[in-house]
Amino acid sequence: MIYYALLPFAAIGLVVLQTTLADIFFSGRLTLELSLIAVIYAGFRMDLLPGGMLAFMMGFVFDCVSAGPVLGLFTSIYLLMFLLSFFVSLRIAAGKMYLIALFSLFCALVESLTLWLFFYYVYDIDRIDSILNVFVPQILLVGVLSVGFFSVLRKWEGLMYGKTVQSRQRTGAGGFPTKA
Amino acid sequence: MFFKNYRTVIFVGALVVAAIVLLSYSLTRNSGACIVKNLVLEAAAPVQKVFISLVEGVENAWKRYIYLVGLTEENRHLKKEISGLQTELMLYKEGYLESQRLQKLLSLQNEYPFKFIAARVIGREQAALLKSLWIDKGSSSGLASGMAVIAQPGVVGRLTDVSFHTSRVLLLSDENSNVDVLVQRTRAHGIARGAGARGCTVRYISKIDDVKPGDLIMTSGLSNIFPKGLLVGRVSSVDHGDVGLFLQIRVIPFVNFSTLEEILVVAAEQRVAFQGKKPVK
Repeated sequence: MIYYALLPFAAIGLVVLQTTLADIFFSGRLTLELSLIAVIYAGFRMDLLPGGMLAFMMGFVFDCVSAGPVLGLFTSIYLLMFLLSFFVSLRIAAGKMYLIALFSLFCALVESLTLWLFFYYVYDIDRIDSILNVFVPQILLVGVLSVGFFSVLRKWEGLMYGKTVQSRQRTGAGGFPTKA
Repeated sequence: MFFKNYRTVIFVGALVVAAIVLLSYSLTRNSGACIVKNLVLEAAAPVQKVFISLVEGVENAWKRYIYLVGLTEENRHLKKEISGLQTELMLYKEGYLESQRLQKLLSLQNEYPFKFIAARVIGREQAALLKSLWIDKGSSSGLASGMAVIAQPGVVGRLTDVSFHTSRVLLLSDENSNVDVLVQRTRAHGIARGAGARGCTVRYISKIDDVKPGDLIMTSGLSNIFPKGLLVGRVSSVDHGDVGLFLQIRVIPFVNFSTLEEILVVAAEQRVAFQGKKPVK
């Protein structure tokens, strides 16, 4: 219960932190999507309910704080990413860092494509010119940062619980978990 | 039973539906503003402030550090520059003073129609028995014993020992020095003899001659060593005394022997006719 109570504050803290860091390092030109990496991590490490709540909260806070006028866009995208990660985690182990990096790249790519298509079809804004300047560096950044993020959180898990929490079902040995 | 088994899936499905509804609502209303969003922004603002102040703190500390490092470097550089400039200034000052001294010597050279040999003072002897200077010119430069030595504004002494590259100048204040002089105002003749720290005394001027303190004493030219008309000194006191035929006259030499750095030697053999018409101040 404490987890659900603290989740909105943690989400606000993370989103504000990534906005501040992006401002420092990239002058606001790029978004440092630590929240997306957190969602992917949740997809690999957490169960459906807490992970889904995390994705929803991260997306919603991101929508509110820095995503612009469309409320719910990143909420939907993050939930989609979480579910994608969750289903992928049933087949691949989170210990293989190159797979994590590749999957994060893929997620960031899907997110960028979704955004591009959304703005193209809904608002008739063609952001094709932003592909090289914004989307590609952002996707690469997510791929690189995900490796560090996963490593740090795995070590933290080891310190907190004495072992990593990915269950047998999540490493491809089991079926679809139904319980939180 | 169904709800219990699929509770998680239903809940996540509800989240997805909520997100889509939120998106649809936002698109149809064409406005992202709502109470929840405002609440989130309200909650995010203090967090943002904390992060910004942290970043600014680190940035300021870093800038201050960089500034201090720069300041230290600049300070070191400026100190070095000051040291260099002080050395340069000292050299310029020295050069300026030397040029002034040489200018004075040159003016002296122009005032008298003699052949002069300039020399630099390289040593001093101010012992009780001997008051002399060492100069850096000797017989190789044409100097000879007995030549007169002058500096601005008057007589310094004469050469006593002349080696190949060095010479000794017997100062006017040395007790062994005797120079034939006359009082400018009354033309009374006498002999100026060195008196050490007290300058010199003029002897053999009769008590009937009129000599007053402040009178100028100059060379008479009779000794064949010093040309006529060179300034020797100024009378400081005149003592008539109770006994004796002559006045006791004390003279303060014009030249300050302790600060001499360059002098002129009068090359006697190249002396030309001297008119002695130089106005004496």
